[in-house]
Amino acid sequence: MARQPDVTFLRQVTLFRDIVEADLRAVWPWLRERRLRKGEVLFREGDSGSELFLIRSGSIVISKHVTGRVDQVLARLEPGDFFGEMSLFDGEPRSASVQAETDAMLYGLDRGNLDLLIETNPRAATALFYQLVQVFIKRLRDSGNLVAEVTRWGLEATGLDVEHTSPG
Amino acid sequence: MSTPEGPGKPKPKARIQLLVRTEGGEEFRIQQVESGLAYLQHRPQRIPLEECELAELRSGVRQATSYVLKNRQTERYIQLTEPEKFLWDQMDGRTSLQEMGTAYVLRYGAFDFDIIPRLISKLRRAGLLTMRPASRLREVLARHRRNPAVRAAEAAFKALEKLTVTSRRAHTLFERVYHYGAFLLFTPFMAVGLGLVTVLGARGAVLLWADRGEVSAALAAHPVVAILLVKLFFWLTVIAHQMVHALALVHYGRRVREFGFTMLHGFIPTFYADVTDIFMGSRRARLVAALAGPLVHLFLGAFYLWVASVLGPGLFKGFLAASALLQLQSLFVSLYPFCFLEMDGYHVLVDLLGMPTLNHESVSFVRHSLWRRVAQGIGLNRQEAVYVAYVFLSTASIVAFVGLNVWVLLRAGTS
Repeated sequence: MARQPDVTFLRQVTLFRDIVEADLRAVWPWLRERRLRKGEVLFREGDSGSELFLIRSGSIVISKHVTGRVDQVLARLEPGDFFGEMSLFDGEPRSASVQAETDAMLYGLDRGNLDLLIETNPRAATALFYQLVQVFIKRLRDSGNLVAEVTRWGLEATGLDVEHTSPG
Repeated sequence: MSTPEGPGKPKPKARIQLLVRTEGGEEFRIQQVESGLAYLQHRPQRIPLEECELAELRSGVRQATSYVLKNRQTERYIQLTEPEKFLWDQMDGRTSLQEMGTAYVLRYGAFDFDIIPRLISKLRRAGLLTMRPASRLREVLARHRRNPAVRAAEAAFKALEKLTVTSRRAHTLFERVYHYGAFLLFTPFMAVGLGLVTVLGARGAVLLWADRGEVSAALAAHPVVAILLVKLFFWLTVIAHQMVHALALVHYGRRVREFGFTMLHGFIPTFYADVTDIFMGSRRARLVAALAGPLVHLFLGAFYLWVASVLGPGLFKGFLAASALLQLQSLFVSLYPFCFLEMDGYHVLVDLLGMPTLNHESVSFVRHSLWRRVAQGIGLNRQEAVYVAYVFLSTASIVAFVGLNVWVLLRAGTS
């Protein structure tokens, strides 16, 4: 039995914010449902993949391996957020690992369906890409802030007094 | 992520989130780690003990035992208070700062929260933990490399630096020189001889003052030759200055690690002797080694004055008188401690005060802490008062020196 389009949810996702309802209904069948149990890994850093995921429910952790069994948390995402868009475009291995912090339900959109959207509905595709660029910019800013914060953390953690110490 | 803070509000400690997986399973926990906690668990590792040297020092100002710690490889040294030495002894790479703090409280009954960061900063500066300082001039150039003129200056300095001629085996040579007669320099006979020459030189100065017109006329007749000869001859006496420093080290059983010629800061040609090993000697040894070099200028200056006073009129008399003035000026510059330059007089001063890093600490205190302390109405302790006095006297001396030169130039221009 076909799923009923959940337009209300799609409206919550930034990517689909500017797409009209008729187009959202057209996109809906292309979204593949995926359920994760708490702690389950969706994919690991270095895996191949070309799918973008929308979070319908639950909480997701995105992390990057640091050492041993320790990762650095890059983001903790909630319903309405999305991730995995980098591999969708560049076809490179996954840059970070994704794991469910709680039981979660996701919808996946793969590269083939994105191409289909571009061909059949360029206006909706343009609206999606516009939002995607906005999100990219925000994430780029966040990454810059994270680098600065991690650097501050390192300076504070080591007690390195760079203001009064000449470089060697 | 960081958020903007108000000007008066201290920024909270940075945190990072780590995902820690359980062994074998897919479960994990997310842990926030605050930088302050990590700092407490930081385990500083000192360089191997055979790469450093520790000597006890009696301080004149603080009336307490302190220590001089030297990095044998970088030849940098710092002073440690007794509590700092206590902490240094524990920096074995296994003891955390938290454990050190606890041990400190058990030993001294109280804790100074600034002592550990201050000590770590000091140790890093001396390369006793990890870092090694570079020339400030080169630092500034490196920061402005996009400017083509700066790049050209850097390239020129690099080329000039290659002119350095160094011998790390000079110690054996100085030992020989010492045993074949230079040991006499460090006997009471030499002190008496220096006193005698100084008296003769003073007498010569009085006589020359009466003949000053004759002396200056001889120099004015051959100004270019006179200036070149005087400068060249003086420059050669710098070798004698450095050699006597080195011989003083041999006299006190310390090692001359290097002797050579270099372009100081990339553009000042100079001879140098690495006399840092004397810092591990007694206070008397350090004072004698520091004063030995400048006394060469006193001896030569007085000797020239005496000889010039007995010579008849002519270029040679003028040359000797001018050389004597340059030697006496050099004596003053070498011994004057308040000019931000770490000359011989500076080393005598820091030894008397028991504050080997006076220059660096003073500038750092005035630049980073003094104004805040003044604004908060907090008084200075004795050590901080010394810092402020040093910076004030050095600044005043430089201003006076520049002012004097400007006045002389203006006066020469109008006459």
